[in-house]
Amino acid sequence: MLRARRRHVPTRTPGPVLPLERVIAHTLPNGLRVRLLEERSAPTVSYYTFFQVGSRNERLGLTGISHLFEHMMFNGASKYGPKEFDRVLESRGGTSNAYTSNDLTVYHDDSASDALQTIVDLESDRMRSLALTPETLEQERQVVKEERRLRTDNSTFGLMEEQLESLVFLSHPYRWPVIGWMDDIERISREDCQEYFRTYYAPNNAAVYVVGDLDPRATLELIERHYGDIPSGPRPPPVCSGEPTQRGERRATIRFPAQAPALLAGWRAPEARSPDAAALDLLQTCLAVGESSRLRRRMVEQDEVVVSVSASYGWRIDPGVFLVFAEVAPGVKLERAERALWEELARVAAGGVSAGELRRAKRLLRSAVLHELSTHNGVAHALGQSEALLGDWREAGRTLSQYETVTARDVKRVAASWLDPTKRSVVVLEPEGVR
Amino acid sequence: MSDEISLPPIVDETLENGLQIILARREGVPLCAVRLLVRAGAALDPAGRHGLAHLVAQAARRGTARRSGREVDEEVEGLGAELGAGADEDASYFGLSAPSEFLSELIDVVADVVAGPTFPAGELSRIRRREVASLAHLLDEPGAVADRATIAAVFGKHPYGHPVDGRARHLAASTRADVTGFHRRWFGPRNAVLVVVGALDPAAALRLVRRKLGGWRSPAEPAPELGAPADPSREVVIVDRPDATQAQVRVAVPAFARASPEYFPALVANAVFGGGFTSRLMEAVRVNRGLSYGVRSRFAASRAAGFFYMSSFTKNESAAELVELLLSEAARFRDGGPTEEELERTRAYLCGLYPLALETHDQVADKLTEVALYGVDRDEVAGYRARVRAVTPSDCAEVARRHFPVERGVVVAVGPARQLEKSFARFGPVRVVSGKSLV
Repeated sequence: MLRARRRHVPTRTPGPVLPLERVIAHTLPNGLRVRLLEERSAPTVSYYTFFQVGSRNERLGLTGISHLFEHMMFNGASKYGPKEFDRVLESRGGTSNAYTSNDLTVYHDDSASDALQTIVDLESDRMRSLALTPETLEQERQVVKEERRLRTDNSTFGLMEEQLESLVFLSHPYRWPVIGWMDDIERISREDCQEYFRTYYAPNNAAVYVVGDLDPRATLELIERHYGDIPSGPRPPPVCSGEPTQRGERRATIRFPAQAPALLAGWRAPEARSPDAAALDLLQTCLAVGESSRLRRRMVEQDEVVVSVSASYGWRIDPGVFLVFAEVAPGVKLERAERALWEELARVAAGGVSAGELRRAKRLLRSAVLHELSTHNGVAHALGQSEALLGDWREAGRTLSQYETVTARDVKRVAASWLDPTKRSVVVLEPEGVR
Repeated sequence: MSDEISLPPIVDETLENGLQIILARREGVPLCAVRLLVRAGAALDPAGRHGLAHLVAQAARRGTARRSGREVDEEVEGLGAELGAGADEDASYFGLSAPSEFLSELIDVVADVVAGPTFPAGELSRIRRREVASLAHLLDEPGAVADRATIAAVFGKHPYGHPVDGRARHLAASTRADVTGFHRRWFGPRNAVLVVVGALDPAAALRLVRRKLGGWRSPAEPAPELGAPADPSREVVIVDRPDATQAQVRVAVPAFARASPEYFPALVANAVFGGGFTSRLMEAVRVNRGLSYGVRSRFAASRAAGFFYMSSFTKNESAAELVELLLSEAARFRDGGPTEEELERTRAYLCGLYPLALETHDQVADKLTEVALYGVDRDEVAGYRARVRAVTPSDCAEVARRHFPVERGVVVAVGPARQLEKSFARFGPVRVVSGKSLV
């Protein structure tokens, strides 16, 4: 998994869905933050480890190291050697995966609850003593190159997204892709990985979230016993996050053997902590979630210029990006699709949305949040994402009420201020001959 | 870890008109998951009308006697739900989930869309144009193209052998009479199952369903039972993408239906062979050789038949090496079966994770729908762990012996034919096709 899009909404509804008051929060002397929630609804536990590092902490020459490193974390440590992590976990009825985003590297284990002790043992082992051998680095480098060929080099959306981010951001590290440039993937050395591990995988740069069928006190003791002796690391260097003002549209064309054209537009959008974030989520929902959303109705149903259109506003630590992606109907001129999109965005900026549209968007978001919080995994992820992006796991309990307070005027204001036509970036896919 | 997996208390009922109803009350988030399934899918698409079932499912929501298409959208989405509609080879599905307080409105809309669509001509034409246009975009996804080519090669002329979302030419030729005829012939209460799971009062929910769907009348006929597909002869299909830098590959062969007693041995055998991160295939392809980011195998099982496939991708230069490796791993597993250690780990893995597959209302609703559609015993859910634990190494080897494509089966690759053709000839006679020929 690579892209951390807004599938996970860090929100909750008041009441029994997420009982924040029952979360046990503790910080170990070495800086590791631990948050535990007992939930007996299913005989399983979900165990998340959030490392506060992603592609935004990289520099040119080492782009993609966060993601490559995520792969390395499954290749053995001192107690559990190569190939053992997944084998041991699976033999106890568990499974594991991870993702890297622009901001974060996140590992999770889901299992039958009686495997919790094994998970703590496995996770603390790799945080303490990851083995970084030349052989496993070479092997993962090849695997990641295939992943890049899959998701970017042979994917029209992947190519367009990579191009768009480098238009929206001129100086911020968000301008390079999470998976990294191919040459950098090729170049990253074992020494780079070792230094990266010391800095970013120290307990003071991490937090553990455990939700499910567990005894909080015993679990905390277990974690203290296993992680307590891992030494703290240096303070990670600050991220250079400046970005010059954009003074006009930026545009790029991708010519690629494809069947049909496509359009990706993006605007620099505020960071997750911004007071505008909730209103932008509602704007995104009004624009492109559901058949009755504005862009789908206009572009797919009425004008039939595209076969699909979607909008996404991903919450990030630094100001991120608001995207609109459209698959243009074959035979339709790209300009027609573009014109319809700009008209609809101008209309929402000038006239806002109706009370009915806003109510619908709030209900859709509420359902999405309830779905998210209906699993141990979803709850653990929501707690972790809230702490990582908003600075406090308790924010997982506040977003839904923030959505409730957003007014139609707010939606109009954020549309007008953030989706400014003079500050947009546009990538178009022009198909070149295919058989 | 206890053996029994408990399903929530279930109320089963069949209305006088033949509609089968399954209700399950669950604690947890205040949502309800609703599924209405009709036992009529793409396998019933007439000749020259591939994609018709899919088109019917898409178009049904575009207008009824009581609501326009837009009103359906506004009503459903105004309640915080999104209506999903689609078909697979065996059935058509309509589903959504939303806060429980709206259950009555949700069932009203779903019942209206399934039982009383009017297929307004303008809306139908638009949906048809959109579906045809979508197929062009599908051709830009190499993985989807490979899957499409695989189904065609494995099932040939069997009713499962054409893609559910159809072909451009067939969709364009489908008339409104085709659509209404398909609906009239197959959509009726006797062919339908309604599943509702979530925070509900079963007695009240049953009264509600009776009120909304008890009056559904239709002379729809039951879908005919299908035979098993013939074994395809060994061949290599290369879908030409001259500019790709990576090739998608599949190796596949027909296999058993979902209700087969082979289901559990195959589930376990496949988990060892190509299921998770520690599978034989993952170890051989990704861990030991770094050939790919992902590799998997699976038994996909439908009502009348199924198929087994191995799936992966790699840079063009190593595509033949990858297929060679898939075939040799399949042969090695067929000849030796799993080790005790592999089997023990896999059984623990499958048993430990099963509750995660039944954690949400939606997952439970999907499971109950699946069980009803394929006619398998619902005890399969409660007894899942016992059935998994009963699988022996020789059961696994037997499944592999019967079904793994070693000398049999088709090999599919999506990539530059000029580069692949020669090296793939060793796997069988090669046929090069264009992507466009698949839609």
